[in-house]
Amino acid sequence: MNISNRGCIRRLSVRALLASRTRNVVAVLAIALTALLFTSLFTIALSINEGMQQNNFRQAGGFAHGSFKYLTEEEFDQLKEHPLIEAWGLRRFLGMPTGAPFHKSHVEVGYSDSSEAHWTYCDPVEGRLPAEGTQEAATDTHVLELLGITPALGAEFTLTFEVDGRETTQTFTLCGWWEYDEAVVANHVLIPESRVDAILAEVGVTPPGRDGMTGSWNLDVMLEHGARSISADLDEILADYGCQTQDPAAPGYIATGVNWGYTGAQLSDRLDPSVVLVIGVMLALILFTGYLIIYNVFQISVAGDIRFYGLLKTIGTTPRQIRRIIRIQALILSAAGIPAGLALGWLVGGVLTPFITAQLNDVTPTVSVSPVLFGASALFALGTVLISCRRPGRLAGRVSPVEAVRYTEGGAPRRRISRKGKGVSLFSMAWANLGRSRGKTAITVLSLCLAVVLLTLTVTFAAGFDMDKYTAHFTATDFILADAGKLQVGSVGFNRGMAVTEETIAAVNAQGGITESARVYGQTKGMNEFIPEERFIANNSQWYSEESLKWLMDHTQRSEAGLLADGVQLCGMEPFALDHLTVLEGDLEKLKEPGGNWIAAVYQEDDYGAPVWESNWAKLGDTVTIRYIEEFEYWDNATGEIIPIDQVGAAYEAGRSITSYAKTYRDVDYTVAALVTVPTALSYRYYGDDSFILNDQTFIRDSGTADVMYYAFDTTDEANAGMESFLKDYTENVNPQLDYESKATFAGEFASIRGMFLLLGGALSFIVGLVGVLNFANAILTGITARRRELAVLQSIGMTARQLRAMLALEGLLYTAGAVALALGLILISAPFLGPALNRMIWFFSYHFTLWPVGVVLPLFAVLGVGIPVLTSWAAQRTPVVERLRQE
Amino acid sequence: MHILQTQDLKKYYGAGDTQVKALDGVDLAVEQGEFVAIVGTSGSGKSTLLHMLGGLDRPTSGRVTVDGQEIFSLGEEALTIFRRRKIGFVFQAYNLVPVLSVRENIVLPIQLDGRAVDEAFVREVVATLGLEKKLQSLPSQLSGGQQQRVAIARALAAKPAILLADEPTGNLDSKTSQDVLGLMKVTGQKFGQTMVMITHNEEIAQMADRIVRIEDGRIVTR
Repeated sequence: MNISNRGCIRRLSVRALLASRTRNVVAVLAIALTALLFTSLFTIALSINEGMQQNNFRQAGGFAHGSFKYLTEEEFDQLKEHPLIEAWGLRRFLGMPTGAPFHKSHVEVGYSDSSEAHWTYCDPVEGRLPAEGTQEAATDTHVLELLGITPALGAEFTLTFEVDGRETTQTFTLCGWWEYDEAVVANHVLIPESRVDAILAEVGVTPPGRDGMTGSWNLDVMLEHGARSISADLDEILADYGCQTQDPAAPGYIATGVNWGYTGAQLSDRLDPSVVLVIGVMLALILFTGYLIIYNVFQISVAGDIRFYGLLKTIGTTPRQIRRIIRIQALILSAAGIPAGLALGWLVGGVLTPFITAQLNDVTPTVSVSPVLFGASALFALGTVLISCRRPGRLAGRVSPVEAVRYTEGGAPRRRISRKGKGVSLFSMAWANLGRSRGKTAITVLSLCLAVVLLTLTVTFAAGFDMDKYTAHFTATDFILADAGKLQVGSVGFNRGMAVTEETIAAVNAQGGITESARVYGQTKGMNEFIPEERFIANNSQWYSEESLKWLMDHTQRSEAGLLADGVQLCGMEPFALDHLTVLEGDLEKLKEPGGNWIAAVYQEDDYGAPVWESNWAKLGDTVTIRYIEEFEYWDNATGEIIPIDQVGAAYEAGRSITSYAKTYRDVDYTVAALVTVPTALSYRYYGDDSFILNDQTFIRDSGTADVMYYAFDTTDEANAGMESFLKDYTENVNPQLDYESKATFAGEFASIRGMFLLLGGALSFIVGLVGVLNFANAILTGITARRRELAVLQSIGMTARQLRAMLALEGLLYTAGAVALALGLILISAPFLGPALNRMIWFFSYHFTLWPVGVVLPLFAVLGVGIPVLTSWAAQRTPVVERLRQE
Repeated sequence: MHILQTQDLKKYYGAGDTQVKALDGVDLAVEQGEFVAIVGTSGSGKSTLLHMLGGLDRPTSGRVTVDGQEIFSLGEEALTIFRRRKIGFVFQAYNLVPVLSVRENIVLPIQLDGRAVDEAFVREVVATLGLEKKLQSLPSQLSGGQQQRVAIARALAAKPAILLADEPTGNLDSKTSQDVLGLMKVTGQKFGQTMVMITHNEEIAQMADRIVRIEDGRIVTR
């Protein structure tokens, strides 16, 4: 194509565009709305994602890419110079206070340089980081609160903490503090490096101390390559200095850490095909909605301008040039619409996101402003525009010049409609008007219908969240009382010191209102089960290398039958707790028999409640031998000598390899009466060993212990609130070592998750609904303006303005009726597939069929369907009929 | 040599009982520089014939040769290009592009073709048609006669092989009709332009070199 005609085509395009302002407004609005749809969605999605990552960083304790741990000063000085390291930070851990008031908190005393402090969220809001050679310290408001100190610069405070097992008490001057952040697991007390060295000297610890970390140099790094290949980069850095991080036993070993906050693996783990499908369908639906509206606008405007294109063709404009005219118009309209949509979308997303993230416990509120977001949205919107104007462009290019002059939308009806002498009614005219442009009608109806379907989906989704299923997953009974450590950090084992005392239980019971209750006894002494080698390997292979597993098996006690001893999780439950078990096979009643030797084998369940059959070996009727160990014997693996019990501690410290064996013990055989799953709340809350349950009496009889791990109970509805406040006070003030969980806690959590989905889905439905309504308005508006002459003809031959409006209103109502009918059809057809898919997708979901959103939307659409045409024709009436008749 | 020639040109609409033979075997030849008027009553097929001659519509059968080119052997794109180079149109409804100025309208076909505008020639045409003062106006600011003169100027500016006029005076009063047609004839003679005009007005037709009558899709007088 010649260059010289470009300008001419462009001029034509621009002039024609400027000539139809109303259509431009509609088109720009449509494009802006599409861009808004994309941007707000991307903003919300990316913000949540970024928020999750931020939260991961906070939980991980910082946002450095990776770290080299427990270095000597020389190693540190060497490694930090590596060219792959873009920035580095130094951390030297000194010690931790563990006694009250810090027993429920994780507080670390140590030195961080300024980079490290920033990377670990220690940015003083008041004051500054401690200066070298001073007694200064900086910390967060939580630590200060625990110490009972009002944050004031220059305040002195004393802290008792353990440095490599040795207690020391030190006094510091507060030089700065920052706000406590709940999500950050560790609280820091930062002191100068000089003070770290001084305290180490004072208590006589040489880094890295016996624990291998105290006072050592930790190098946290930001990598040149960013987060793409953290692990490989760390390896490469080590390799360049002849070190390695694979084998702790081999020379040159340096421990490394990769910040898991950066790894995308977590999300991809959760993306099973059905979730991907649902997300994909949603995305397609949204894209399609955007396409529909823009396509409709262009289709209608081309139809309106068809004479113009015919005229252009008669004077020699080629189809390709006509397509270019339309494309240029599309681009100009996009240039106006897309930036507006991007800005609006970002605002909408920005306003909504904080609301949404505020509902999510695991997300840090952030509004993503990544340029990728705008780029992608703009590209999506532009792509939609270009695709949408292709077909109208072809239509305009193909139209024969002669026909163009005679063109009316949709052309002649394909078959004659027999009216059987009834004459022409307004309804039949309205019906025929819709029928003559089936494509446009279909698209308008479809886009309206999509809005209805999406709204119904959202409501179904949010309404299907099942609170009972959700809370049941976390808590079995109204209340559970246990050691704070057990409840807060699930992976903590149970020991005698953590037992809930009978005095406490009595105090709780004294509150009254308890309907049923049960003690769950935990194991506080050595116990073993005996299993075949294959099972032993299966249980332990994930913790040990092949070589050390072989060594372990050689050093593990065997039963007479040759079975290997392995750890076991055993607990004893009172009947009310037993009632909360889910029986997979067998009968729990036997287990309740006093004095019986029955046992229940515990199977894990996945998030959807399906038992994991590999999680235990015992089947119904199997014999399980439990060894109750009274006394252990300790052997030095190297020499084979037996170490007296009082010297074991020293031997461990000296770094000797020691194995423990049961010296005196009792073996008891039980028969498996039932295979069960245990509610997480009543289980040990960590995996590892095979798990079994006895009844309370048998447990106490055979283990000789009666340490209550959980006290679980239900209360009457009336007593609920009273019990809640009693426990809150009791666990905070009377016995702070304890903590409790209640159904109410989880119900609140549930409400916030549900609220988040409602908000997100509501926002989505609203935007799509807006697109649908705009599309509808556009179809009617352009339908009326494009038919101005025809409507004038109708009026000139005697149709009253009232009749005209009635006809247009009927057309609007027909669109509405069509959309609702189609939506109903789609919902009814999809319901049988949707239910099971959603139930699978979200474990606390119970699908309920619902149609009320359709009922809500119906009147709204009806009002619009009648209102838009009536208002438009009113506006049109201002021009006299003769004038309108003359218009081309 | 005939600049324009048709051979057994037929255009049928519909089929069976309702079939309409708009053109039923038309053979017509026009010489270089000739001014031919085609007359006929409404529905005689004269407009259809003009559309065929100009390549605006495709015949059911038969051939149309313009300047030695059989036009319906061309593809859509090529036909459009051929049309804007070889055929100028003047319509009853003027068909000016409302958003372009008079001058822009006149040179539009040339620019669409990506050719350089022969400024001297266009000036001459504009002067002949008396449009010098209206060049920057928009079509809506002109009278009907002026608009039609612009359409004629547009048709001539591209120096087409033939100029086809479809009831060029149909929208004008008789005085203006005479003026416009007189101008058209003068300009045609001045630039040696072949012209084919459709009209139902005998008086107007008399101004042509030759009159061709068409009835029921057939030519009755040559």
